[in-house]
Amino acid sequence: MKKLIIYFSILSCLFASCKKIIEVDTNNAETQIVIEGKITDKLADQQILITKTVGYSDQNIFPKVSGATVIVTDDKGSKYTFIEKAAGVYVQAMRGIPGNTYSLNVNVNGKIYTASSKMPNNVKLDSIGVTTNSFFGNERKIAAAYLVDPVNETNFYHFNLYVNDLFSKRIYVSNDRLTNGNKLRTQLYYSENDDDDKGLKTGDKISIEMECIDSNIFDYWYALSQQSGRGPNQGTTPANPTSNISNNALGYFSAHTFQKLNVTVP
Amino acid sequence: MPIKYYFPLLLLLFLVNSASAQNKYTLSGTIRDAGTGETLIGATVKITGATTAGTLTNAYGYFALTQAEGNYTVTISYTGYLSINKTINLTKDLKLNEELKTANDLAEVTVSANNRKNENVKSAQMGLERVDMKSLNSIPVLLGEKDILKTIQLLPGVKSGGEGNTGFYVRGGAADQNLIILDEAVVYNSSHLLGFFSTFNADAIKDVSLYKGGMPAQYGGRLSSVLDVKMDDGNNKEFKFQGGIGLIASRLKAEGPIVKDKGSFMVSFRRTYIDLFLRASPDSSINGSTLNFYDINAKANYKINDKNTIYISGYFGKDNIGVKDLFENNWGNVTTTIRLNHIFSDRLFSNTSLIYNNYNYTVRLLNDVTNFKATSLVRDFNFKEDFQYFSNKHTLRFGLNATHHRISPIDITTSQESQVNSLTQEKRYGLETAAYVSDEWAVTDKLNFLYGVRLAAFSLLGPGNFSQYSASGNILSTENVASGKFYKNYFNLEPRFSVSYLFNEENSVKASYNRNTQNIHILTNATSSSPTDQYVLSSNNIKPEIADQVALGYFKNLDENNYEFSGEVYYKWLQNQIDYKNAAQLLANSNVESELLYGSGRAYGLELFFKKKFGKLNGWVGYTLSRTERKFAALNNGNYFPARQDRTHDISVVGIYNLNKRWTFSSSFIYSTGNAVTFPAGKYVINNQTAYYYTERNGGRMPYNMRLDLSATLEGKNTGRFQSSWNFGVYNALARKNPYSIEFINDPKDPSRTVAEQTSLFGLIPSVTWNFKF
Repeated sequence: MKKLIIYFSILSCLFASCKKIIEVDTNNAETQIVIEGKITDKLADQQILITKTVGYSDQNIFPKVSGATVIVTDDKGSKYTFIEKAAGVYVQAMRGIPGNTYSLNVNVNGKIYTASSKMPNNVKLDSIGVTTNSFFGNERKIAAAYLVDPVNETNFYHFNLYVNDLFSKRIYVSNDRLTNGNKLRTQLYYSENDDDDKGLKTGDKISIEMECIDSNIFDYWYALSQQSGRGPNQGTTPANPTSNISNNALGYFSAHTFQKLNVTVP
Repeated sequence: MPIKYYFPLLLLLFLVNSASAQNKYTLSGTIRDAGTGETLIGATVKITGATTAGTLTNAYGYFALTQAEGNYTVTISYTGYLSINKTINLTKDLKLNEELKTANDLAEVTVSANNRKNENVKSAQMGLERVDMKSLNSIPVLLGEKDILKTIQLLPGVKSGGEGNTGFYVRGGAADQNLIILDEAVVYNSSHLLGFFSTFNADAIKDVSLYKGGMPAQYGGRLSSVLDVKMDDGNNKEFKFQGGIGLIASRLKAEGPIVKDKGSFMVSFRRTYIDLFLRASPDSSINGSTLNFYDINAKANYKINDKNTIYISGYFGKDNIGVKDLFENNWGNVTTTIRLNHIFSDRLFSNTSLIYNNYNYTVRLLNDVTNFKATSLVRDFNFKEDFQYFSNKHTLRFGLNATHHRISPIDITTSQESQVNSLTQEKRYGLETAAYVSDEWAVTDKLNFLYGVRLAAFSLLGPGNFSQYSASGNILSTENVASGKFYKNYFNLEPRFSVSYLFNEENSVKASYNRNTQNIHILTNATSSSPTDQYVLSSNNIKPEIADQVALGYFKNLDENNYEFSGEVYYKWLQNQIDYKNAAQLLANSNVESELLYGSGRAYGLELFFKKKFGKLNGWVGYTLSRTERKFAALNNGNYFPARQDRTHDISVVGIYNLNKRWTFSSSFIYSTGNAVTFPAGKYVINNQTAYYYTERNGGRMPYNMRLDLSATLEGKNTGRFQSSWNFGVYNALARKNPYSIEFINDPKDPSRTVAEQTSLFGLIPSVTWNFKF
């Protein structure tokens, strides 16, 4: 619908360019801790990233937080101490098990941040492919993930899309509130940036990662997706997504299943 | 409690009046336009003799005045019409049905209008703006489609929703807090084409009144304003046609007598043809798209006898937008009003109304796997009984109102192969009932009161499953309620009080207090409204919204009422306001009430208005200085934050210049502070993407808005019955890029930095419209 408004205004935009860079008046906030932690069901180096925010007008160079103590425990009594592999990158080789609840404990200079997440059951990513849609007269190729949603549970999905190893800067998140128990084809619209959606070309290499996430993490991604790519005056009033980490840290701690498939655009 | 005392008090008032009226007689009647037979609303009737008294005709052109026996001169006047003077001998109750002739000459207008002077100063009513349908024609608007909603946004205290956004905001209220009624029927969605045009086709409209404060007790149900729109009755003397052909829409209206001088009808039709632009595209997907709206207004009335007149009116409108093979969306309002005016006695006028209205939308997604059809409906049945009793110094109004609401939030039907499941969200039923009484009392020549009270009751009815939720949104308990059962009841007493004190004929001060409550709410967490916004009723979770407003004003007229000046200040307290949790899912969610936050608000401001009413050059300047804030425990650390529509300064200037009998030029200029929006204060990286960190809710400002619109009207040469005119317009003549939205992106010159990119909708847009009448 937003597209239609823009489309309608094209009638007038013939007379002038409709976009311009402007100065806005905003303060730079104080630095905050950002924690991004993922535990997957694959035996691999699980990663907890700790960084800091920078002010709005600063360069996009996000300080890494070194020297933190990072411990993950599960509700079966296991304890994993993460080791700082690179600045701000804490790893431990382990495998998460669906049904277990994982708890995170991070100590940064005496300040403790905790979170927990229950790893949901895995839903099989059956296949991935490419579909074609016609959008305002343009035939567009769109990556798609195929799966069968289990009927007897509430499921939440998060996807990552890579095209020729380039990460698509969009948030793909869904739940089965309106689609429970069905064969699903989830389309992942690719854009290198939001203005200029070139779509996919024959020969492009696509990878799709699928994560089965818990409901808090769904809320996190969903809140972020409602804001991203849009600004004030569109979408919801932007706010920091509710984090499952304590002590006002930004970010999230997610225990999720992980699957990845590749395909070449025909 | 207070109401118990109130009714006997009024009864007493009745008795006192009738007891002392032994040697008094009543002059009553209906005032009409001599050319069309249309009743005139708000015409002045003044009688001078041993004593002097005056009144205004009501919504049906009716008036009644009671005076002591004697000889009087009656003067009837109305802006733009020639006044009538009559001598009467009031020795018994008299009927006076008069028809006023339109004044064709400007000089005549000035003369006749002076007979109605200083009404704005004298009346106790505050915060009322009446839109002059004649000047509406010359005020420039987007694409030449004259529009009452766009025009009221040029008045102080009324803020526009902005380009590409439905709705308007009155004195800090939200867009869903305006009561918009068309011939008494509620119009839930007053916008066409995603908010660029309103549902009111100016051809079919007779009178528009906007109450932004001091709401009279006969209105209720919304917090911040009442927009009372009345349709034309139709010419009861001869058949007439009028219409217009514009760049994007055409209009045609037909009217005429059913039985001469006894009954008439009016039908008006409007349709856009933006589709044609799309169809002209060689691209098959674009030319298969739809983008249009149409609406029909129809009305008929018949005067059965001197005491009874019946009116039937209706509105039907529809918007269609769609993109081939992708989606279709249509929405529209339907209203039907049946009214019976009955005159019990010369002094007691009554109107009984039966009203039906609905608002519905349909969305169809045509994608091969996610294909479904979603429909939604809000439907009201409304019964109203209003009485008006005219006594010597009092005009009493009292009545009853009962509205039954049915809301079908959403029905999703899907095909076999669709991956979306069919779903029917439970319907909700509600009953709003109200009783009111008010009295307009001319205490002395200098002191006027308008006071009253409205008792508003709301009941949430079964059948349905009603849940209680924990703070985190989990269901604590669910109650199954049987059909017809009253599940939850709310009672609210709404006092309304206004007073005016005249220093002299041209100076007055006024003060008012009123409480309003609201039991039907729009849920939308988007910052702009859309046709698929959801309506909910007050419930066990949602409390009735309450607003208390106090206002104080100074009114002054200059130069024989040629200039009007007013200044009003107001302060408004809002309770039980609604906002949304993070990641709220509002659509097709039967637990939508678990996603809501409840808080309070306050709004205050100063409005200045200076108007030149007559002469070659007329128009107005309006200025508003205001603040609008909301407070929610879960938002902005529980501190007050500016509402999105908070704009500190708002200026509008409208000028109309009548060069000669053929050419009229007009312009409007607006300036307003930008909307309050949330800007990032920091940034961080999450999942390899830049995310923004927010501290203050709505702590930032969009750039200011400024726009100049121009228009010129050329009347055709007078060739007997057929009249035509050309209207030329330029929207946004300064071609200023007004902000529509702002996005934060990586600086194209230095991708390691963030910049704000503003999108604007409209540049300079010329328009031309040809209007005709015969």
